[in-house]
Amino acid sequence: MGTDKGKINGRQLLFMFAGFIQGSALLIDFTVGITEHQTWMVILAGLIVTIPFILSYAALAKRFPGNDLVRINDMVYGRFIGKALSLYYIFFLSMTLSFNILDVGELYVNFLMPDTPFFFLLSVFAAVIAYAVYKGIEALAKVSHLFVATSLFVIITTSVLLADQMDFSRFLPLFELPFIKLLQGIHIMSIIPFGETIAFLMIMEHMNDTKGPARYSFFGVLVGAASLLIVSVRNTAVLGRTQTIWTSPSFQSIRLIDIGTVLTRMDFLIGIAQTMLIFFKCSIFLYALTTALSQLFGLKSYKPLVLPVVGIEVIIAATVFQSPVDHAEITQNAGIIYSAPLIYLFPPLTLLIAKIRGLPKTERSRGK
Amino acid sequence: MILYKKIYVFILCFIMLVALSGCLGGREINDLEIVIGMGIDKDKDTGDILLTAQIVNEKEAGGASGEGGGGGGKAYWNVNSIGKSIFDAARQITHKTGNRLFVSHNQVVIFGHDVAAEGLQKHIDFFLRAHEMRPTTLILVAEGRASDIMDAKPETERFPAMNITKLVKTYGFTSHLYKVNMKDFATCLMSGTSATFAPLVTVSQDRENKDVFVPGMAVFKNGKMVGKLSHDEVRGVLWVLGKVESGVVIVPSPDGKGKAVLEIVNAKSKVKPEIKDGRIIFHIKIEEELSLSEQTTRENLATVPGFGKVQEAAGKVVRQEIMAAFERSKELRLDIFGFGEMLHKKYKNEWKIMEHNWDDIYPTIELDIHVDSRIVSNDLLRRPASPDEGGE
Repeated sequence: MGTDKGKINGRQLLFMFAGFIQGSALLIDFTVGITEHQTWMVILAGLIVTIPFILSYAALAKRFPGNDLVRINDMVYGRFIGKALSLYYIFFLSMTLSFNILDVGELYVNFLMPDTPFFFLLSVFAAVIAYAVYKGIEALAKVSHLFVATSLFVIITTSVLLADQMDFSRFLPLFELPFIKLLQGIHIMSIIPFGETIAFLMIMEHMNDTKGPARYSFFGVLVGAASLLIVSVRNTAVLGRTQTIWTSPSFQSIRLIDIGTVLTRMDFLIGIAQTMLIFFKCSIFLYALTTALSQLFGLKSYKPLVLPVVGIEVIIAATVFQSPVDHAEITQNAGIIYSAPLIYLFPPLTLLIAKIRGLPKTERSRGK
Repeated sequence: MILYKKIYVFILCFIMLVALSGCLGGREINDLEIVIGMGIDKDKDTGDILLTAQIVNEKEAGGASGEGGGGGGKAYWNVNSIGKSIFDAARQITHKTGNRLFVSHNQVVIFGHDVAAEGLQKHIDFFLRAHEMRPTTLILVAEGRASDIMDAKPETERFPAMNITKLVKTYGFTSHLYKVNMKDFATCLMSGTSATFAPLVTVSQDRENKDVFVPGMAVFKNGKMVGKLSHDEVRGVLWVLGKVESGVVIVPSPDGKGKAVLEIVNAKSKVKPEIKDGRIIFHIKIEEELSLSEQTTRENLATVPGFGKVQEAAGKVVRQEIMAAFERSKELRLDIFGFGEMLHKKYKNEWKIMEHNWDDIYPTIELDIHVDSRIVSNDLLRRPASPDEGGE
């Protein structure tokens, strides 16, 4: 067993997947600039491309019950290569987490609290995720459905309130962009919202469902993808071609809500939903990161690592990029390159090697 | 041990209470300069931006007893400043107001004619980019100077800016103009071929009173104002775009002795572009529902044949309005209907070739207009109040 004794059931895993992917709702904006009105199809294509890989994570978790990614790497690749690979994963988790913390900061500074010092916002946010992670995976899992429900509520309400401003001819012509742009969009989409679920390989070991996590992860991903799809369709139908110019199309479309001059300024809705979901996503990342680190160093508990790690993450988030433009450029270009092998290559490879070598071996070899 | 922990938590709570309460960067309402309208002109002497901000005068506006509140002073303050750009001017204005402008409640931005003719592309950026600005803020163009429009005090409304907003938002009564906000304007601006619109405003002198009046719409090409559309021409465009909400259609009565005045109850449109043998045809199908609101002839029009004739005549009026707008757009060499975009959506490959010389192709396109008008109501009268039993 890992360093946390918590247990989660299948339905909780489903909601965790869904909430995790919904947490990327603002991140699809990275793709909108490239894929414009065809973003919705890029989301679908990204989903279809990534589903087999996500199922391979679930298959790994089922094949190695009670083991997380770090142990699986050790077992399959041996102590040295396994550890190196785990370090690569830890690097990925740590960078992604800090970028997500940065996203929260940018969200607040750009839209909600422009005068509050950036570092202060990041620290408060980080303190909350540290607290959540400290409470263990079970605590997070138990509230996951609330996050998903809130976010679905916000997504659906805003879409209904904007229905009168939607113009579906804005999706035409259907296939206009050069294929290379779509490909780039699909790549970003498959890595950022969907591929990042690789972090769940640190969590699936807590499943108490013997049937394995495949079914639940699949449906969770579907719920998350459906939410992203609604968001993207809403933004395109409401904003049309201007969606490519805004820092955040979602925020802009919500600012357009004007029902009889009474129901206006609904920005706070998306502020609430987005804060909650990024919080959830970051908590999962932080949990995965700290448990991975504790496994790597053979610690008894991941808890002592939470505070120092989160501190480092905040510092990375606050210092690594010069500006939001820098952030977007690097995520769009470099970010999706270094994480690609971790998402597409290693999990299926691990599964293949495990099959060939007949791992995991019997109870005896798995003992101490 | 536990006691220590409790004391520790207590001290922490106390520190947080002191350190974290209060609003960082909070602005109290009496410190806010609440802007409800902005006018952008070109300064005559320097050629820089002259910004006029209409600020709510809280003391005067606050009173519940109608106009002017307390001392009969104005409920608003028009303050202006000059700057190299709009943002610069908005900051320069603090030399007069002592406070930053609070533009979250800004309803309307009026551009002076000279600024509009020079191009709005460079000026609109600030309004789209600024945190506090809403994308729903309305855009208008003044026939003269925006600052004059902001000065014309309305009779029933307290604030000129609110009055102008009302004029534009109620466009549906006539469909002679159309509401354009920042986001709509930006959308059209981003299309290379379609024209952009904004309602025009002007001040009409009526004895001593100055009234603000909307005489039509300004048309922009690549962000530069290139012409105006009259009321009927605007409605011609709105018929095609399916944005006619209501309005009045006047047709001569069948006996030629008076008029039938119809109100538009409902209108829909469908436009289908077609490329056939090198010709570009737009099939425009319009369905309108009307009600007979007034008739000035003694003949009873509320009969089946009477309605038939009036409907036919109403259809002709719509066609005329569309054709008038089309002729005007050919004159301007400007695609005011957004036909180019419609073609783009259906024929994307052909469009790639046409896009670059759309201005030359546009005058050669053909319109195939079908109007289906139906009178659905004759309101409270079965026949006009005339002595004989209507008709011959």
